[in-house]
Amino acid sequence: MSKKPKPDLSRRDALLVGGLIAGAALAEPLIRLATPENFPAPDTAPQKQTQQNSPSDLPPLPPLSVIALNRLAYGARPGDIDAFNALPGASPAIQLQAYVDQQLNPSAIDDSVFDARLNSANLTPLTKTLAQLWNDYYVNITVSGIANYNLRLPPVTAVRTATILRAVFSKKQLFEVLTNFWHNHFNVFGWDYDYASATFAYYDHEVIRANVLGNFRQMLEAVGASPAMLFYLNNYTNRATGPNENYARELLELHGLGAENYLGTVPASSVPLDATGRPIGYVDEDVFAVAKCFTGWRVNDSSTQSGVVNDGTFLYYPAWHDAAAKTVLGHPIPANQAALKDGRDVYDLIAAHPGTGRYIARKLCRRLISDNPPQSIVDAAAAVFTAQKDAPDQLKQVVRAIILSNEFMTTWAQKVKTPLEVSMGILRATGVDFTTISDAFFWTFDRMGQPFFGCRTPNGYPDVREAWLGTMSLLNRWGLCNTLLGGRISANGVTWSVDMVSQTPTVAQTPAAIADFWIQRILGRPMYPASSRDAIVDFISQGRNSGFKMTAAETTDLVPRMVELIMMCPDFQWR
Amino acid sequence: MAGARLTNIALASPAGVANDEILIVVFIRGGWDVLSIFPPLAGADRSYYEAARPTIKVPVSGTGAAIQLNSQFGIHPALAPLQNLYQAGKMNVVLATGLQDDTRSHFDAMEYIETGTPGIRATPTGWLTRHLSSSPGLDASLLLPVLSAGVQTPTSLLGDPKVIAVDTPSSFSFQGNWRYTNDQRMALRHIYTGNTWLDAAAVETLNALDIMENAAIGAYTPATGVTYPAGPFGDTLKTIAQMIKLDLGIRIATVDIGGWDTHQYEGTNPAGYLSNLLAIFAGGLAAFYQDLDGAGAQNYTSRLTMVAMSEFGRRFKENADQGADHGHGSAMIVLGGNVNGGRVLGSWPGLSAAQLYQGVDLAVTTDYRQVLSEIVSGRLGNPNIGAVFPGFTMAPLLGIVKARPAFNYTALIPSVLK
Repeated sequence: MSKKPKPDLSRRDALLVGGLIAGAALAEPLIRLATPENFPAPDTAPQKQTQQNSPSDLPPLPPLSVIALNRLAYGARPGDIDAFNALPGASPAIQLQAYVDQQLNPSAIDDSVFDARLNSANLTPLTKTLAQLWNDYYVNITVSGIANYNLRLPPVTAVRTATILRAVFSKKQLFEVLTNFWHNHFNVFGWDYDYASATFAYYDHEVIRANVLGNFRQMLEAVGASPAMLFYLNNYTNRATGPNENYARELLELHGLGAENYLGTVPASSVPLDATGRPIGYVDEDVFAVAKCFTGWRVNDSSTQSGVVNDGTFLYYPAWHDAAAKTVLGHPIPANQAALKDGRDVYDLIAAHPGTGRYIARKLCRRLISDNPPQSIVDAAAAVFTAQKDAPDQLKQVVRAIILSNEFMTTWAQKVKTPLEVSMGILRATGVDFTTISDAFFWTFDRMGQPFFGCRTPNGYPDVREAWLGTMSLLNRWGLCNTLLGGRISANGVTWSVDMVSQTPTVAQTPAAIADFWIQRILGRPMYPASSRDAIVDFISQGRNSGFKMTAAETTDLVPRMVELIMMCPDFQWR
Repeated sequence: MAGARLTNIALASPAGVANDEILIVVFIRGGWDVLSIFPPLAGADRSYYEAARPTIKVPVSGTGAAIQLNSQFGIHPALAPLQNLYQAGKMNVVLATGLQDDTRSHFDAMEYIETGTPGIRATPTGWLTRHLSSSPGLDASLLLPVLSAGVQTPTSLLGDPKVIAVDTPSSFSFQGNWRYTNDQRMALRHIYTGNTWLDAAAVETLNALDIMENAAIGAYTPATGVTYPAGPFGDTLKTIAQMIKLDLGIRIATVDIGGWDTHQYEGTNPAGYLSNLLAIFAGGLAAFYQDLDGAGAQNYTSRLTMVAMSEFGRRFKENADQGADHGHGSAMIVLGGNVNGGRVLGSWPGLSAAQLYQGVDLAVTTDYRQVLSEIVSGRLGNPNIGAVFPGFTMAPLLGIVKARPAFNYTALIPSVLK
């Protein structure tokens, strides 16, 4: 059998420009049917061809306040756009800087109203230490002599509730958006009825949130030493006698260097060096060596080794560690290093590699700007990442550079909101008041394909529009608009409701005036194209001339349904 | 690959003959451990196998013994539901299939397989999409030719404008206040009129909604005696069966089964994690086949082909966790009314150290595109393999399926069958 020639490294490298998807089994968001005539020969990297809408089809660039609140927050609450416009600064760009500097300093934001709401939700797992979580939700789950594994879930359930409350009510919106990004980047399936679910409050608070605006190198190690990740990617049993490569591979491919820097199974010795003298990417030999470096990184669990405390904390177990010399990314790891040193060397090497900077920068730009972000901003953000690799606020600086770029400010409608973003946006825009969340919400939400902490594969949910445009996903997205605002969600006997009639100013009495008020209120700008507004007015007029004064009964009936409809429109779905 | 190459012309479909064949593509996500699923039973390879897998090997006899397919290979006992189909000539197995590319990344490998362009990440369409757009035998007026069972659409259908994603047909409805949902839908028809990708997706959804409502879909009762395994895989297969029986024109459907990334605790046979997963997999395929194997107008199996594949197999040597890490060579199952069944196909590369890929993995001797191309050309009547798999040239036929009579395909089968 003749094998295809070894991959041409320069071609792989060329593909970096094309970007790669963040999600499982979903490629770039392109709609262009290939025919034999226009399909490129297989040995040439095809040019990226994003489907082009002619300029007249795309909505115009909205005000910067709308861009910011839809990409750096989960949509605008009533008053948010006015607050943005009241920020100091002679231009929207300067106001954006003021907004971002506020948001990137979340501890200085007065969020006491939200804090009181969160406290009233009584999410006790959020108040516990790792050892307490382990004891209360991992160890002590026996009721009347029978293990009840449902008792492993309260921590992840509490984090889910807190995540929704924060997304809807907290003022620290950018922090929440970035927390979601990093949870997805370091994805752990949270509903395992095992180590991850029982310790998820620790993973959320001490591992992810503690590092969102911090240092990537520190974050890598916090993740790698957490019981949730140690269990999820099997490293907690990784030992010298037969290494388990699961964590090592995903550390390189998903957490650190990224698949865009994976060169396959070619010998490490054949990999060219970059300008800094490092191999330009990693190969399977690196995966095997990294797996050995992390042998003996365990959890203090119920395994029966002497000296082990069953409290869920991190355990370095020398007896399982492969102390032989290794080589990772061209760098020698000497034999018999001190405890933890092999793994920490790996984290250092990954965090310092320019390929990691490009990969993380591209992924952040994909979240904050567009599915295929311009290479200019990716390079600029990667330069900050690498230059600030030892800074305690490295990730804050990277994010700031991305947001204050021309690329951020001049891009719109290249992405569609994810199910999470659109549902939180509905709740924010209309002012639904709640502290508990019933299963009825999740019945519809989960069917859009993005259940909270529910991605089973380690690559997390895709962050490209193709993933969220399937018929089932869109249908449930529209259904969610109706469900959330239609009095169909109740929790603890209280129906989620919002009185849209009383929020409508009394001067708005005709269908046209009411529609115009709510379009501005929800979208912060006129609809595009203008004919969409006509369809909204036609709906609330119910086929009559739109100039008449609506009765109280008519507004009660029709205003909520019209608001639902506005939210189903493209102007609410773009980001 | 050495040997004679067939021209596409040899398999050309007679012009104007509509093709009503149904293809179900089952993607086994995570990298299935083919060496535990199709274990070698005899010879030197058996010795290598037992040495490499002291705890997770499938025994030849006794508790949890493999079911023998032929003198050389067996199947895991949890695949018992498929044994009858194999013996009845409705199923075959192709061993040592996979990618002619050296990735051990799940996500690279899945993407390469599903785009149909190994080594190229940026391909804008899936292989099924290109089949649908290049097939001369597909009736363009079909209402719903392409079904993705589940919420997410797989990469193999990337860029297809007609695919609909459905999890359960009876819940494919527009939720809301019944008095106003029709008006809301009509308004959306007036609003989503642009030329953007978002407009296109919305219109596709509204169209699918109309069709599905018109079909008056209710709860589904499978054929008498058929029981699908509980859980998402059985449920999605049930959805596909229901959609096929609604006669909306389903020609291609995709379904996923996940959970195969067994780095750890495959379980000792016959109990354990892998056994449970295989029972769901095999039970699902067998139930689906039986459900569609009715008489007269209820017989769909005569035009049904199913193919099951994974992104790769797993490492030959087990790790210390009773699992195996990412490997290379895999296997494919082809099942249907017109399969040249009851055979183990493909060239077995052997398991000695010298025969393993890079000394550690089962090698690949059959490009996965060969298997799919034989189905696409032989059953689906699409001779344009160059469009479906650009740059790929078919090797001599393995003879996986019985060609539809028009193709004079059987005569081309060489004698490489085991």
